[in-house]
Amino acid sequence: MMDRVRHTAIVMRSFWQLNWLEELQYRGNFFASLLGTLFWLAMAILTVALYFRHTTQLGGWDYWDVVVLLGVFNALAGVVECVLRPGIGHLPTDVRSGALDLVLVRPVDAQFYVSLRRLDVWRLADVVLGLALAGYALVHTGRMPSVVRLLAFGVTFAVAIAVVYSIWVSLMSLSFWFVAVENSSALFDAVFEAARYPVTAYPGALRFLFVYLIPIAWTTTIPASALTGRLQPSLALWAVAVGLAALGASRLLWRVALRRYTSAGG
Amino acid sequence: MPNAIVAAGLSKTYDVKVRDPGIGGALAALVRPHYRQVRAVRDVSFSIERGDAVAFLGPNGAGKTTTLKMLTGLLFPSSGGAEVAGCDPWTGGNAFRQRIAFVLGNKQQLLWDLPPEETFRLNRAIYGVSASDFASRRAELVDLLLLGDLIDKPTRQLSLGERMKCELAAALLHQPEVLFLDEPTLGLDLEAQQTIRDFLGTYRERHGATILLTSHYMADVTALASRVLIINRGLLLYDGELAALVARIAPIKRIELVLSESVSRARLAEYGTVAHYAPPSATLEVPRENATAASARLLAELAVADLSIQDPPIEEVIRIAFGEGENG
Amino acid sequence: MASASAARAVTIWREQYTELMRAAFLVDLQYRASIAIWLLWGITEPVISLGIWWSIAAGGAVDGYTQGAFARYFFGVALVNQATLSWDAWNIDRWIREGEMNYRLTRPIAPIHEAIADNIAYKAPTTTIILVVWIAAAAFWPAVRVPFEPERWMLAVVAIVLAAAIRFLNGYATGLLAFWTTRATALVELQFGLSLFLSGRIAPLSLLPPGVVSVAQYFWFPYVLSFPVEVLTGSVMSTAQYARGFAAQIVWLAIWMALYLLVWKRGRRRYGAVGG
Repeated sequence: MMDRVRHTAIVMRSFWQLNWLEELQYRGNFFASLLGTLFWLAMAILTVALYFRHTTQLGGWDYWDVVVLLGVFNALAGVVECVLRPGIGHLPTDVRSGALDLVLVRPVDAQFYVSLRRLDVWRLADVVLGLALAGYALVHTGRMPSVVRLLAFGVTFAVAIAVVYSIWVSLMSLSFWFVAVENSSALFDAVFEAARYPVTAYPGALRFLFVYLIPIAWTTTIPASALTGRLQPSLALWAVAVGLAALGASRLLWRVALRRYTSAGG
Repeated sequence: MPNAIVAAGLSKTYDVKVRDPGIGGALAALVRPHYRQVRAVRDVSFSIERGDAVAFLGPNGAGKTTTLKMLTGLLFPSSGGAEVAGCDPWTGGNAFRQRIAFVLGNKQQLLWDLPPEETFRLNRAIYGVSASDFASRRAELVDLLLLGDLIDKPTRQLSLGERMKCELAAALLHQPEVLFLDEPTLGLDLEAQQTIRDFLGTYRERHGATILLTSHYMADVTALASRVLIINRGLLLYDGELAALVARIAPIKRIELVLSESVSRARLAEYGTVAHYAPPSATLEVPRENATAASARLLAELAVADLSIQDPPIEEVIRIAFGEGENG
Repeated sequence: MASASAARAVTIWREQYTELMRAAFLVDLQYRASIAIWLLWGITEPVISLGIWWSIAAGGAVDGYTQGAFARYFFGVALVNQATLSWDAWNIDRWIREGEMNYRLTRPIAPIHEAIADNIAYKAPTTTIILVVWIAAAAFWPAVRVPFEPERWMLAVVAIVLAAAIRFLNGYATGLLAFWTTRATALVELQFGLSLFLSGRIAPLSLLPPGVVSVAQYFWFPYVLSFPVEVLTGSVMSTAQYARGFAAQIVWLAIWMALYLLVWKRGRRRYGAVGG
């Protein structure tokens, strides 16, 4: 078992090295990516500022709290752009082109391989920028977090990544059935937009949608709540359970989809 | 006979960025990019009469496609000029484009998700073909290219050979005076290659279209064109009849061997000129008329695992005919 | 004689556009599932904006905008946005990189016409879908009802068509910069980001700081979204405001048409010089 893990790690590392070499060739990419992120971050902050020109609270959150959440959103989006979109987000293309078959014959777990084979390394800057923004905004709230709260944030942020990852795996698994749909990641992008603001900021019907039906908003609201002291740290443990359940469920869906794919002859 | 294509001193030079391999080179290129000049086409001149079929031969990167792109008005020459179908390709505008067709072997214009029939319909409208002309030309093309019900299947379901045939049909609905083909048989199976060669010959006879095609298959030339232009590294090396070219190069055949026991180079040289020696494989060159006899001797006297007889590739023809190596 | 050849030219144009639109529509039909997802993706932004403003306006109108007014506004934004989407820059970039520009340049029709036909074939049905959803919503949600004024509606259609034309030419011309740079699509995205505010996508323009609004008026941004939406949703507008809005649309249409012609000519020459 440990051998398998080590072997997988070695394979991953060589792919990341190749990745890095490839990326170095496109000198413009890092700066373009960074400029892009800074630009969109500025637009997002200006949007929040515009809202707060006409109100003092959004769903019980005041300005700097919302900016903290914005930072968390940006960091989470950075993980999506760095790891998820280039990796598992590429699955529908690979299914259609037959490239997936090349993956399946390798002695590595397919889900693991597909998920981590390609990283858009420059987008790590998004994660750093997002966390930095959250930190900066935290200072302005005047409620500096204790170690416990920071730990709670770390845990809930990791859970958020796990939940988002599970959603991507599930969405992409569906591409085994709906081969004609090539933009299933756009479905994620659509609902993820709702995670920009605290769940409580939405009015009745929408809040019901985002709390119970498409609970994506929680992926940012909960970690941001932990950071700003809204969340009881013990709830973070419940979040872990949710995260594990999400990973398990998506793994199950993946295996069902893969079994169907391989038995149908691709 | 008026000239359908006239090229006068066409040249094309590019500036290309240069970078050393590896991480060091990549980082260096970030700071200080270097350029070098690539002369893709150098002072190429020729003229082709209306109704002729001419093959433009040369190895990869020789400048064939670049020349074709200049003649079709896609690229502007660095110097020189041309006249195609009575028009200047760069200022001729839509009137010029009505008279030509340009088919690229690896890039297609057929609508991918729809049957070729839909592309035919679209081209009919774009080129302003009348309904009656469209019906008769379409029928003829379907017949000659053996398209049958292929045109009703979505393009993405067709094989490469089937797509190429439909591509040709789509390109000829407006009955162009000049047909430019870039590597039309590239990657196709033998049957498809044959169909296309036969078709082009028949089509030219019937409609008097002028055909200029590029290829790096000798077989395309022998089937279609009586005249060849050979280009290598941007220079026009030969312009003349195919028969004369064949006479010019010592007619040879290549015997490609895979040996099951090691044989020395000197031993192999007893059977012919050793062109390539990398055990267990080797290539011999022998005079055309001796090829069969030499093969029989090789099979009988040496431990041969596999043997095949080939025409020399175009690069070899050029090397033999003009004494230049690929990098010479 | 001249009128005969003019008539012939019109027939040719009509046939070309008919077939181009038909082909585009048939392809779109094949991709209807993907298009449905794009539609959904397209309306999330106005839905979320509406959600936030609705919450903010719960305690009373914001600068004259009640919750109902916000609802009408953002439904309008969803509709006009669908009609004015711009994606051509990405196509142009891909065609140039992958050699698919070549056959478009050797046939007797400028590539822009294929794009125009493609836009119409895509936008007409999808915008109608949004309109139908709006009408259905209006049946049981009074807030989004728009006053019955057929003349205003016709003016709204004109404003929307002009807006679509402006944004199409803007996107296409910017996309043609791909002849020179690989970052043309980034430029389009930059404009898109600015338009969040300057077009009134994130909020009605009157809610923005006055300085920003006056800057916006120097550009085409307000006239490709905010103006048509205001006309459509029945905002109170004086005749002078109508006149100014339509005049600005016509001026910007002319400007972007000229810019397109300029960039196209130069870009064509550049492509001819350096290839793909």
